[in-house]
Amino acid sequence: MNPMVRKELNLRMRERRGWILPTLYLIAMGATVVFAYYIVTSERTAREGLQGATVGATTFLTLSYAQLTLLLLLVPVFSAGSLTIEKEQRTLAALITSLLRPREIWFGKLSASLLFVGLLLCTGLPIMALALSLGGVGLVELLFTVLTTLLIIATISALGLYCSATFRRSVHSTAVSYAAVILLSVITLIVFLLLYSHWNSTHPGVPESQIPRVLRIPLYLNPYYFLTMGFGVAANISRGEWLICLAVYATIAVSFMALTWRAIDHSGEQL
Amino acid sequence: MIHVAGLQKLYSGGRGLRSFDLDVAQGELIGLVGPNGAGKTTLIKILATLLTPDRGVAQVKGLDVILEKRPVRKIVGHMPDVPGVYQDMKVREFLLFFAAAFHIPSATRHKVVGDILQWSGLEDRADGDVEHLSLGWKQRLVLAKTLLHSPALLLLDEPATGLDPLARLELRRQLKELHHRGVTILISSHILSDLEDICTRIVFIADGQNMGQTGQAAVSDAPPPPAPVIYEIEFLPSTQAQEIAEGIVGMQVLAASEAMLRLSVTGGREQTAKIVSALAAAGVGITRVQPVSELESQYQQLFGGK
Repeated sequence: MNPMVRKELNLRMRERRGWILPTLYLIAMGATVVFAYYIVTSERTAREGLQGATVGATTFLTLSYAQLTLLLLLVPVFSAGSLTIEKEQRTLAALITSLLRPREIWFGKLSASLLFVGLLLCTGLPIMALALSLGGVGLVELLFTVLTTLLIIATISALGLYCSATFRRSVHSTAVSYAAVILLSVITLIVFLLLYSHWNSTHPGVPESQIPRVLRIPLYLNPYYFLTMGFGVAANISRGEWLICLAVYATIAVSFMALTWRAIDHSGEQL
Repeated sequence: MIHVAGLQKLYSGGRGLRSFDLDVAQGELIGLVGPNGAGKTTLIKILATLLTPDRGVAQVKGLDVILEKRPVRKIVGHMPDVPGVYQDMKVREFLLFFAAAFHIPSATRHKVVGDILQWSGLEDRADGDVEHLSLGWKQRLVLAKTLLHSPALLLLDEPATGLDPLARLELRRQLKELHHRGVTILISSHILSDLEDICTRIVFIADGQNMGQTGQAAVSDAPPPPAPVIYEIEFLPSTQAQEIAEGIVGMQVLAASEAMLRLSVTGGREQTAKIVSALAAAGVGITRVQPVSELESQYQQLFGGK
């Protein structure tokens, strides 16, 4: 086993946040279920003849987006500080001058970050399963949601690790990582809406399905769009958009991985 | 073991190394002495493969530190000026992690760590938390970590800074032992008396350049005058001693009391012998003649104005 992975997991689980964060995560997920269920089954809706499948699907979608939002908020905490902490406690020089390769250091940090996020995802599965029990969604939807969420989180972790390898202080690295998350989640949506609005005004009456792909480029960077396209694949509606998002995210992750290896190799200059 | 030629690494502000040359033979224990910002840490970091020089040659055992980083890391142990440790780990766990990081096989890892714990005196603290160790013990732990892969060259950057006298003594003992084992050691320190006690050679560094070494004339534009050596002479109470000393050419009385003289002697041992003979001839009962650190006086001569 890569010694970095073992070390990171041992140290991470000793931290107080090792048990506080899963607890808070479960409380937030539980509150989301209650909120979604309450909204869907409100008295007025019930009178209109509510189907269990509708409740299940709505609760599942709400939970999936809430889960992604929570994880997007948590991931920079783990990844963006993982190498800067080594700089701050003056242990990075010892790691670099050992026989660990930059890729082993990177893999150890990424694995620890992802395994902890994986732990959160696993602890949230029983809550997600509540939605399954109501109907409207099946195991395939659950599988694609978890898979897409993991891919998004792995990419954000790779980005956070790059910030961590580049900056000297955790506070700067974390701030830039959050800025990147906002850029991907919010700014890309705003850019798309502006482009769409312009296109709509110049092409009145053309159906939305005919929006040129080039206009959707900002959306391919958006994690919520990626997740939404995952639901589409699970429901056998469309696979192409999900695959494009997958390719975009894989490219981002691999690029940041290579940049981080290089930054770790040269990080002696920062010590 | 070390070959450095024309090594340059400049930072913004002009500090760093400028055309630094140094050759160190296997088994030497070299002290690196110079004022703050002279380039000591830069040199050590380049040799430890942490920094890439702007130009010049830096080799360890014939291996280029820029092009052959991994082979160099296998034979070099680097101890930085501030010991970085994982506070949340146990002492043994810390060493086991670095033993794995140095690819020591898992079958022998526990034995290697056990041996190093015993050697460094950390055996009793092996299952304690790193964060509860004092600075001196943390230094020992980092030195132990540095030795895990049995490096042929040790690079120690200010290892005695912040240590209490007992910890410094222990560090000196450990370094002497390693030197006797044949490990080549390059150590930078501001504590000249420590270096003088253990080093086989001391290299002076200032403004990123090699300014010479002990037993060798300093390199500068104008050749410096012969270094005065400071002596302390203790004797049975006498009123004539100071007068006798002041009467000898090349002798300067720095301090005097009824039973002690501190002299700056220019002219080597012969001059010292003169004063001792003169005092003895005048019936002064000499009880001790002690040179005050030659290194200190040489350091003062080189860097007094910096």
